[in-house]
Amino acid sequence: MSPEELERRLRAVGAERYHDKHPFHLRMHEGRLAPEEIRLWVRNRYYYQTRIPVKDGLILAKSEDAAFRREWVGRIHDHDGRAPGEGGLELWLALADAVGLDRRRVEDLSGVLPGVRAACDDYVRLVESNDLLASVASSLTELFAGDIMRTRIEAFERHYPWVDTAGLRYFRSRTVQAPKDARFGLAFVLANATSPDDQARCIAALERKCEILWRLLDAVEAAGRKPRLSPHAALRTDAPDGGRPDAAALVVLPERAVRLNASGAEILALCDGARSAASIAETLRDRHPDVAHVEPDVHAFLEQMERLGVLESLR
Amino acid sequence: MSDATGAPRPWNLVAELTYRCPLRCAYCSNPLDWARVDEGLDAATWGRAFGEAAELGVVHVGLTGGEPSARRDLEPIVAAAAAAGLYPHLVTAGVPLTAERLARLRDLGLRSVQLSIQDVDEEAGAAVAGGRFHDRKLALARAVRTLGLPLTLNVVLHRANLARVGEIVALARALDADKLELANVQLHGFALPNRAALLPTRAAIDAAAELVAEARERAARPEILFVLPDWWSDRPKPCMGGWARKTLVVAPDGLVLPCHAARGLPGLAFHRYPEHDLRACWLEAPGMQAFRGEAWMREPCRTCPERAHDFGGCRCQAFALAGDAAEADPACALAPRHERVLAARRDAEAGAVAPLALRSADA
Repeated sequence: MSPEELERRLRAVGAERYHDKHPFHLRMHEGRLAPEEIRLWVRNRYYYQTRIPVKDGLILAKSEDAAFRREWVGRIHDHDGRAPGEGGLELWLALADAVGLDRRRVEDLSGVLPGVRAACDDYVRLVESNDLLASVASSLTELFAGDIMRTRIEAFERHYPWVDTAGLRYFRSRTVQAPKDARFGLAFVLANATSPDDQARCIAALERKCEILWRLLDAVEAAGRKPRLSPHAALRTDAPDGGRPDAAALVVLPERAVRLNASGAEILALCDGARSAASIAETLRDRHPDVAHVEPDVHAFLEQMERLGVLESLR
Repeated sequence: MSDATGAPRPWNLVAELTYRCPLRCAYCSNPLDWARVDEGLDAATWGRAFGEAAELGVVHVGLTGGEPSARRDLEPIVAAAAAAGLYPHLVTAGVPLTAERLARLRDLGLRSVQLSIQDVDEEAGAAVAGGRFHDRKLALARAVRTLGLPLTLNVVLHRANLARVGEIVALARALDADKLELANVQLHGFALPNRAALLPTRAAIDAAAELVAEARERAARPEILFVLPDWWSDRPKPCMGGWARKTLVVAPDGLVLPCHAARGLPGLAFHRYPEHDLRACWLEAPGMQAFRGEAWMREPCRTCPERAHDFGGCRCQAFALAGDAAEADPACALAPRHERVLAARRDAEAGAVAPLALRSADA
């Protein structure tokens, strides 16, 4: 196909699959997210931000062309800055401050949801396993990023006045950087993807990237669900141990009984259909500051209990 | 699982309320002489048994048979199970149970239902069950879900229906079942003389396993239970989770057993409820002790590292195929009588077609 047709096809991928259409973003932009949900998103999306310079380093290493590398290395500078306290990652941490998060807890990645981690790691793997051309194509979601940043700034100013506008500097910086980066990336792809096979690979890489961004939000959105004990479950704390001193409670279900230790019973006690999975995880982390991995462990436990039918979740 | 004295805690009580059933399935696992078993326990006695079971640590009670809804006093029995703090679960063929009666049972404390279905179509189901019940079963399945009760569909898989596993899964999904239990036909009871007609080929089982894997991939509901049959897998099944280790069965005449088929094993003395209290029936009856733990094991089980997982397999299968309940389960590739299982596999591969003999009262 012609370069014009390829560009049209690439833009169509975004029109159809870019995460500006994800229900979580729609709710964000309509002002319908609770502060807790905003914080959850900021904290998790930070992991994605940390992956950007890593994948750009991988792309850099694939190129034999000094001119390409001079241009592309600018992206790493944009994110990491030229000195401590500068750059996009730093601006994201300023956003974390502005929404009321403890930036140390953002930086240590302790609250990153398993599904978010998997999606972001898949992005790095996608770049790792592709050649230069398809890797650059996967970055073309930037074509659509300028608009979403403007929508987001407007939404934050209008709907979330509790967020200090100083925290929005990352979004502002991206309204300029993203279109500039996208112009370069698009020109590179259009100039180099000339065979039908390469063109198809570029479209596929951009589709994969859109899926990854979508999955990230799926995971964030899922952490907002509100688990409660299934109506089919009978929770028993009377002599549940059956000789197992570690059992603190027993959940009886159709043709199944699930023994819980003290930690499990403590988590389950918070599953009241009013608290979100994310806030249950945060509550337990605050209760047990000396225990490592509390939040991912809580999320894994909740998922396991849902699979077993112990818990059901409300949106 | 045992308390401080080392005695095992039973988790599950199987209450065989009656051996009567309007169906005559060719693989029925009730005793061959079911018609001569006295239906001696009344509802009040069942109620006392449930209370004693709860004290022993039982949490689940499966109300089964035969067909439990053939009893006119199922209502007080369900109420007594709930009053004892147990989780009452009804295992039914769906007839003569009605939606109205099921609603009453739910209001009395019934928590969940397992419904058996023979096949996806009435004709094939009738060939196995000796009567046309399919539409009534489907109606009951819908009633279970309408009443908000969790539903498990149970389908015994055998040579004649194995090719329809895909349709069976689709039916379970359409009925909004929570679970689908695909139970490969077992080689004892009424099934044994029918084995040539019932045992499927390895290829048919593998194809079914693949379909199940795909169905699990496609959707989380229903949860599908499907285990490669022991006589094809070279490994014995951990029958009942170990003899008299987790489950006790109370037969319609009050005989307390470690599994529903143990009555047919010669030389084992079990206690009868209420002549003995349930604790004595569970802990002290010589038949319960006979294969409890590992002391009874011979080689190769005695020193086998698998014994902690499979408990030596199925005693009833050992008796049925090796003629001695204390033998290693012939399903195991290491068992001295494994040849019996290999012979059954050869029969299955040879594709012997034989007419089904249905369950009868005069076996």
